[in-house]
Amino acid sequence: MNEGITRRSAIKRMLGISGTVAFSALTGWPFGGVVDLRAENTGRRFMVEGRGRTRDYSVKALVNKVFDEAGGIARFISRGDVVAIKPNISWARSPDLAAATNPEVLEGVIELCYEAGAKKVRIADHTIHDARRCFAITGAGSVAKMTGAELVFPRSSLMKEMKINGHRLDVWPVFIPLVEADKLINIPVAKDHGLSTLTLGIKNWMGGVGGRRYALHQDIHQTIVDLAQFFKPTLTLIDATRIMVSNGPSGGSASDVMVRDTLILSNDQVAADALAAGLFGIKAEDLGFIRLGEKWGLGTSDFRKLNLKEVIL
Amino acid sequence: LNPRHLIWIRRGSQAFFLLLFLFLLIESRLPHDVIIDYSLAVTSDQDLAIEGPVGFFFQLDPLVVLSSLLSGHHLIKGFWWAIALLLVTLFLGRVFCGFICPLGTIHNLLSFVKPALKGERMVSANQKSPGQRIKYFLLIAVLFGAVMGTNFAGLLDPISMLFRSVALAVMPGIGAGVREVFEWMAGSNFKLLNLTAYAEVLLAPVFGYVYKTFQAAWFIGLIFLVVLFLNRIRPRFWCRFLCPLGALLGLFSRFTILKLEKDQDRCTGCNACTRSCQGAAGPEPGKQWENAECLVCFNCFDACPEGALAFRLRLRSPRLNKKPDMGRRAVLAGILAGVSIPLLGRLDGIVHKVSDPRLIRPPGSLPEGDFLTLCQRCGLCMKVCPTNVINPTLAEAGMAGFWTPHLVMTQGYCEYTCTLCGDVCPTGAIAGFSVRDKIERPIKIGSAYIDRGRCLPWSGNGPCIVCEEHCPTSPKAIYFKNDVVAGPDGAENQVQLPFVDLKRCVGCGICEFKCPVKGRPAIRVISAGESRSLENRILL
Repeated sequence: MNEGITRRSAIKRMLGISGTVAFSALTGWPFGGVVDLRAENTGRRFMVEGRGRTRDYSVKALVNKVFDEAGGIARFISRGDVVAIKPNISWARSPDLAAATNPEVLEGVIELCYEAGAKKVRIADHTIHDARRCFAITGAGSVAKMTGAELVFPRSSLMKEMKINGHRLDVWPVFIPLVEADKLINIPVAKDHGLSTLTLGIKNWMGGVGGRRYALHQDIHQTIVDLAQFFKPTLTLIDATRIMVSNGPSGGSASDVMVRDTLILSNDQVAADALAAGLFGIKAEDLGFIRLGEKWGLGTSDFRKLNLKEVIL
Repeated sequence: LNPRHLIWIRRGSQAFFLLLFLFLLIESRLPHDVIIDYSLAVTSDQDLAIEGPVGFFFQLDPLVVLSSLLSGHHLIKGFWWAIALLLVTLFLGRVFCGFICPLGTIHNLLSFVKPALKGERMVSANQKSPGQRIKYFLLIAVLFGAVMGTNFAGLLDPISMLFRSVALAVMPGIGAGVREVFEWMAGSNFKLLNLTAYAEVLLAPVFGYVYKTFQAAWFIGLIFLVVLFLNRIRPRFWCRFLCPLGALLGLFSRFTILKLEKDQDRCTGCNACTRSCQGAAGPEPGKQWENAECLVCFNCFDACPEGALAFRLRLRSPRLNKKPDMGRRAVLAGILAGVSIPLLGRLDGIVHKVSDPRLIRPPGSLPEGDFLTLCQRCGLCMKVCPTNVINPTLAEAGMAGFWTPHLVMTQGYCEYTCTLCGDVCPTGAIAGFSVRDKIERPIKIGSAYIDRGRCLPWSGNGPCIVCEEHCPTSPKAIYFKNDVVAGPDGAENQVQLPFVDLKRCVGCGICEFKCPVKGRPAIRVISAGESRSLENRILL
C-alpha cells in the first residue's frame, strides 16, 4: 500500500536530513574547506643580495638581476602556477616614506612571474589602514592595474580559521589567498619596529592573518615565527631599497627613511632577515624572532653558510 | 500638451532624480572604489578626493541654503542652484515637489502602488485640512531657530532626512544582511558556494566592505519607516503636513503663472480630480485652487474625464492667486518655538561652558557654536568616512546637536591623511582641508590618555605596544619608558610603558581603536585639546 506521508513523519525526516548535513558540516569545519596546495619548500638554500650602485639604476632591472643570479624565476615558478604575493602595504603611506613595499619591486616580481607562465598572480595583504586607501596610496593598486595581477581585498569572508600548529598559536584565522596558491612569495619592506625591533620577512606574516591579531604582540617573537612556519613561503624578497630606520613601523616623515638600494632574495626566511638586520646595524642574534626561527628549524641565522651571491647594478 | 504626456514627463523626471540621488549617495565614498579598478597615481601628493558632485541635492535645496545663510551667515558653495530653483518656483509653483524631490517621489510611489483609501473616502481625505498649516509652523520654527543660532533645518529637511535615512539605516541594514549571506557562503564546504562569495566584490562597493554600524541608526530608520507609513493615512502625508521645504516653496509659489484653470460648466462633480490630488490643493471646479499646496503633479488634469481642468501658463494678474494659508497661530507658534528651542539647547552648557568629553567632531569642524549654525545632520560625512568612525550623536552634543556627527573611536578612527568629510560637507560645518593642513597645522580633534589600570604593560600583565605601533604622527605621540613592573605571579617584568605626548597627539583615535582592550580601551581619546576650540585646549 502506498501510504501518505504524515506531517509528523515529514518533519522527522527533514530533521534527520538537516541534522546529518549540519553534523557533517561541523565535523568537516574548519579544516576541510581549505587545502594547502603548496609543495614543501625543498632544494638547496641560497641567498642573493642585490645592490643598486649606479645613479638612476632601475629597481625593476635589479629585481631581474637578483632573480637571474638565483637561477632564474623558472626555477621557482612553474607554468600554470597560481602565485600569491605578500607585500607589506599595511599603511596608507606613499612609497617614498618606506612604510610599504616599493611598488617597483612588486611590479618587477609580478612581471617575472607572468613571464615564467604563472596562471594567476595575486597580491594579498591584510592591511592595517583602510585597504582601499592603502591600495591607492602605496601604489599597489596601480601595480595591479598595470601588471594584471589580482589585488585581493581583505574581506572578512576570506579569513578562515586554520590549524597553525605552532608553539604558541593553535588555531587562527588566516587570509585564505595566501594559502590557496601554488607558490608564495613574501616581499616585505625592511623597517624599524617598536616591539620586535625590526619588521622584516618573518614579521610580515602578521599581515597574513585576521582575528585578534593585536593580541599577538603579547608574545610577538614566537607568534610570528609560528606564522612563518605555517606559511612556508617559496621565496622571501626583502625590499631594502628604502628602509625605515626610526618611528616605525608607520613612519610618516622623510627623515625616518634611509636609501639603501638593496634587495635580498632567499628561500631561507631566517637568513634573509639576518642579513637585512645588518643594514640597520643590528646583530641578528639580538633579534628574538631570528633566534626562535633558528631554534625551531626555519632556517639559519648564519647567512654566510648559505651560497651567498652578490650582484651589483 | 496632452495631460497624459505631462504625467509621463513627470514620472520620467521623478525616476531620473531619484536614481540620481541614490547614485550620488552611493558615490559618496572613496573614489576609484570598485575593487577591479585602481587607477590612482602612485607618488603624487594629490589627496584622495571625492570627484562627483555628491552634495548636489543639498545645493539645490533652498532650505539648506537659506537656513545656513540665516544661521551661519554663510552662502554655501553651489548656492545658485537653490536660487535657480526658487526662481523656477516663482513662475511654476512647487515643481520641485512634483518633479524632483526624491523623498516626494518615494511617497508618491507608495501612495500610487497601494492607495491608502478608496472612492469617497479618498475624496474626503483629499480635502484641504487645517493640519496643512503644520508645515508652515515647522518652517517658521526652523528659520527663527536658524536666526537664533541653532540650525535644526536638517532634522526635517527632506533631502537631509532621506540621505540620513538611506545612508545610515537602509543601506547598512541591507548591507548587514548581504554580508551575512556572503560569510555563510564563504564558510560553506561546497566549492560552488565558495566561488559565489566572490559576488561580494560587486556588492561591497555599494553596501560597504565591512559591517557598517551607526549608533542609534535604528532610530533613524524607525522614523523613516513611520514617515513612509504615514502615506497610509493620507497620500503624501509628509509633503502635505510636515515638509518645511514644501512650505518654503509654497510661499514662493505665490505668484506662479502656471495655473490650474477650471471650467465650471463642464464639471459633472465626479470628484476624480480630488481623488487623485496629491497635495489636497482643491482642484475641483467650484473651489479655489490652493496654489501653495499644489505639488504640480498634473494628476487632476489627467484624471478629469470632461476636460474641465487644465494647467496653463497665464501671465495676467498673478495677484489673483490664493495666498498661502498659514494661519496666524501657526506663525506665532512657529516664532515662539523657533526662538525657544535654541535657547533651551544652550542650557546644557556644551557650547558656552564645557563640552562633553565624547563629543569629538570630525577634523576641520568649526567651533561648536558655529558648527551648530551650519550642520544639517544629513549624514554625508558619516556615509563617506572610510573607517566608519563618524556617527550621529544622541546625547553627546546635547539637544541642539542631536544627530550631528561625532567620532566613536571604538568603531573606527580618523585616518591621518584622509580629508573626505571636509570635502563633502555641503554647508561647510566641516570646513574643507587638505592633507597638508591636517598634518602640518595640525588639526587636533582631541587627545589620547592612558588608563593605566587597563593597560597591559602598566598593569603588569605583559608586553603590548599596539598603541605606539599604530600612532601615525612622526615622531610618534606615544613613546615608551623602559621599566620593571611586578607581574601577577610576583615576577619582575621588564616592560615598555607607553606615555602620550600631548604636543604631538592629534586625537585620531587609532590607538583606541586598535587597543586589545575592547569596549572601553586602555587608551582613549577625549575632546579636550581639540584645536577648533580655544577653551578646550590643554597646553598653553
